[in-house]
Amino acid sequence: MKFLSVLIILMASFGADAQTIVSGTVKTSKGKAVRGANISISNSYDGGSSDSLGFFRFPTNEQGKVVLQFSSVGFNTDSLIVELVDGALSLNLVLREEISELNAVVITAGTFEAGDAKKGLVLNSLDVATTAGAEADVFAALQTLPGTQTAFSENGLFVRGGSAAETKTYFDGLLVKNPFNTQLPDLASRGRFSPFLFKGTTFSSGGYSAQYGQALSSALILESKDLPEKTTTGISLMTVGGGLDHAQRFKNSSLSLGGSYINLKPAFSLFKQRTNWDKEPEQYGGIIQYKLKTSETGIIKIYSEYGRSTVSLFTENLDSLNKQDYFSNRNKNFYVNSTYQDFVGNKWKVQSGISYSNTSDDGLFDTDEYERADRLLQGRVTVTNFTGSLSSVKFGAEAAAFTREESLNSLKRHYTDESVAAFAEGDVYFTTRLVARFGLRLERSSYLGMFNLAPRTSLAYKTGRYSQISLAYGRFFQNPEDGYLIQSKDLGFEQAEHYILNYQFIGEGQVFRVEGFYKDYRNLVKAAGSTFNNSGDGYAGGFDLFWRDKKTFKGLDYWISYSYLDTKRNFRDYPALSVPPFAAKHTLNIVYKQYVAKIRSQVGATYTYSTGRTYFNPGSSEFLGDRTKSFQNFSINLSYLTNVFRQFTVVYLSVNNVPGFKNVYGYHFSDNGSIRRPIGSTARRNFFVGMFVTIGDDKFVR
Amino acid sequence: MKTIRVIIVLILLSPALVWAQANKYTAAMQKSLETLKSAKTADEMLAVANQFERIANAERTEWLPLYYASYANLLGGIITTDNMKKDPLFDKAMKGVKDAAAISADNSEIYTLLGYITFMKMTVDPQSRAMQMIGPANEALAKAKALDPLNPRPDLVSGQNTFYTPEAFGGGKERAKPLLETAMAKYEKFQAGDPVSPDWGKERCRALLEMCK
Repeated sequence: MKFLSVLIILMASFGADAQTIVSGTVKTSKGKAVRGANISISNSYDGGSSDSLGFFRFPTNEQGKVVLQFSSVGFNTDSLIVELVDGALSLNLVLREEISELNAVVITAGTFEAGDAKKGLVLNSLDVATTAGAEADVFAALQTLPGTQTAFSENGLFVRGGSAAETKTYFDGLLVKNPFNTQLPDLASRGRFSPFLFKGTTFSSGGYSAQYGQALSSALILESKDLPEKTTTGISLMTVGGGLDHAQRFKNSSLSLGGSYINLKPAFSLFKQRTNWDKEPEQYGGIIQYKLKTSETGIIKIYSEYGRSTVSLFTENLDSLNKQDYFSNRNKNFYVNSTYQDFVGNKWKVQSGISYSNTSDDGLFDTDEYERADRLLQGRVTVTNFTGSLSSVKFGAEAAAFTREESLNSLKRHYTDESVAAFAEGDVYFTTRLVARFGLRLERSSYLGMFNLAPRTSLAYKTGRYSQISLAYGRFFQNPEDGYLIQSKDLGFEQAEHYILNYQFIGEGQVFRVEGFYKDYRNLVKAAGSTFNNSGDGYAGGFDLFWRDKKTFKGLDYWISYSYLDTKRNFRDYPALSVPPFAAKHTLNIVYKQYVAKIRSQVGATYTYSTGRTYFNPGSSEFLGDRTKSFQNFSINLSYLTNVFRQFTVVYLSVNNVPGFKNVYGYHFSDNGSIRRPIGSTARRNFFVGMFVTIGDDKFVR
Repeated sequence: MKTIRVIIVLILLSPALVWAQANKYTAAMQKSLETLKSAKTADEMLAVANQFERIANAERTEWLPLYYASYANLLGGIITTDNMKKDPLFDKAMKGVKDAAAISADNSEIYTLLGYITFMKMTVDPQSRAMQMIGPANEALAKAKALDPLNPRPDLVSGQNTFYTPEAFGGGKERAKPLLETAMAKYEKFQAGDPVSPDWGKERCRALLEMCK
């Protein structure tokens, strides 16, 4: 008897007598139908999928208490215990939206995130390389974004009424003291770094994180690439010089070496130069990079570069016209940056870095010999804890030692500042729609003998699937410019407060942004003769618009940015609150790019318009009361993709200021005010031709 | 005595039980594969992916259910026209293929699928993803080829990727053709191990070769 019952039980487990029909709906917590959800009985094959109305229905032979699991893409998996008996079971299931980076709100006030792989990116390295007029200079390409001013004659990024010194560049978290080549009289220089070094670029025009200090207006955060995919050699031949680089890929590491030589003489000799060159700019340099993957998530990166440049030129002496002023410069720049990052467990991320830079200039101002050297050594550690699914807390500390030395003939002076900083910042997600960031930064400068405490906070709320609004407030400090510090120790931190309101729409292939801001400047350095104090102040207010569209026209990408800026400041040697020369009221940029398959080329054009700037006229009753006429530029470029000896090759051609607009950046006056000379570009038009061959890669440009 | 009889019966039945379970798995897989073959819309693909996922949840040591769930999600993502919906499907496919790799390491079929998914994810936004993702896609396919030189699918996927890459970027029909021909030659000789082993792509390969002419 028992034998039989055992057999029956065993048979029953094969059998299919009792059946339950499980049916119902799957909806979101807001009652919207979830289509394609998977409803299943654990440890069985039984289950079904929901249709477009959220309905599902499936039969099962399982009996008794079982676990019913349900899930869908973009939702958290959930389960419940149900009792299956003969007949029907009806269920109303609710799925909760998964919190993921894709659908969660992100802090965007003031920030243009341009991570190459991220969604909603604004500019990536290829964008930088293909923006007409930018000629692969990161800083020039950024000048087509809202909030920035077109820089003509001075190095740097001028952001929302801020001077060039108020924008700082960070390379893997470490401050870069000299991101530009040496400033020449009335001529802006290119940035030192190639855009192709970086996988991500975050450009913040205000309200940025407590991780970054010493910048009153803007932070440019560059994140270097990881291991190169394979071994390649690159050759570049340009009208201005050439370069050779080689990247060797090993199993878990890579070593890259590169060298370049630039000489502007041949290119300059083709176009009539307004500048009277004695020796056209000449530059050579080398780069060594080593990257080592220490684990699945850990990486060590070492980047070092060395470069030398020379130039000399004559400028008109407006006070004695039969005489010309002479200027010569020789620059040596060494930079090394070493970083390490990894996860410790799942929840902790450690990032550390150390960098050293040594930049020195020497040359002649007429017959006077000058020398200048900047040396910066810094270290930084950041620890991030990922507490919740998205929320995180970050702590960090920095230490830096900076020395500037200057000499003029036999006169010498120098100053040294040792600074330390600590910061803490938390990103708190209240829901997927609402996030707040609270940050605090503490800094101390040994030279100034002072502390500062800077609170930063942002709030972002997602208003729709593609849109969100953000708010940001922050207080920012920086040391006065080196030129003042070397002359006076009795100075304090300069200060700015930012208030930002931002609306952003990021749809598929389209980005729209509008951002309003107000900045309150305090404690700016004022100079009266050789005495300096922190009594300067100022303000900047305005709004930016940005529209980028890659969707409407197939293969065509364009963006339009407009900035309105109202700013005045009383700093340096200004007698009163005035509009500084680096602030145009209206700035408009239109950038167009298209890949034309027929000619295998990417073509691009950039149009820039900005209203006139103020300039100092000794004969005028109002200080900085005169304005130049408006500025216009139209540049085009073309990248032709081809193969040379079966190696991937790009032939690049660009023409700057095609229509030949006569732009005036400002004026120089003689001391008595009777003679004025316009400041302009070195030539009305510029053109550039280059060929870039990548050996070892017939598929894609690096 | 009775106890002994029970034990004997149990011993006699146990292989049958195992066999029945295995049979149930194969039957469920075959049924799902049939559905996969007839699936046309993204919704249908998602429903098949769900079927495979259910089998995968019950059979934790089998890589094939995960592999097919991932494959169905990939196809669903390819069919879907809304770019915003493509990414989540490709991400799900990516997760599935990685879970499958955790069960079966160094599997040529899994690496093929990984290369396929990576490439398709790149095509959602080629301008910003190409530089990041083309490399890993090619790496996965190269590994798939190395792991099983007789497997035609890595060659098919390479050929297909090349076919849809613009000529100027190293793609085009001319470059795709030899790859697809290699794949076709391998398809002619290829024998799937059992009824549920991967055996897709021959028709696709033929169609692509036709378009290369």
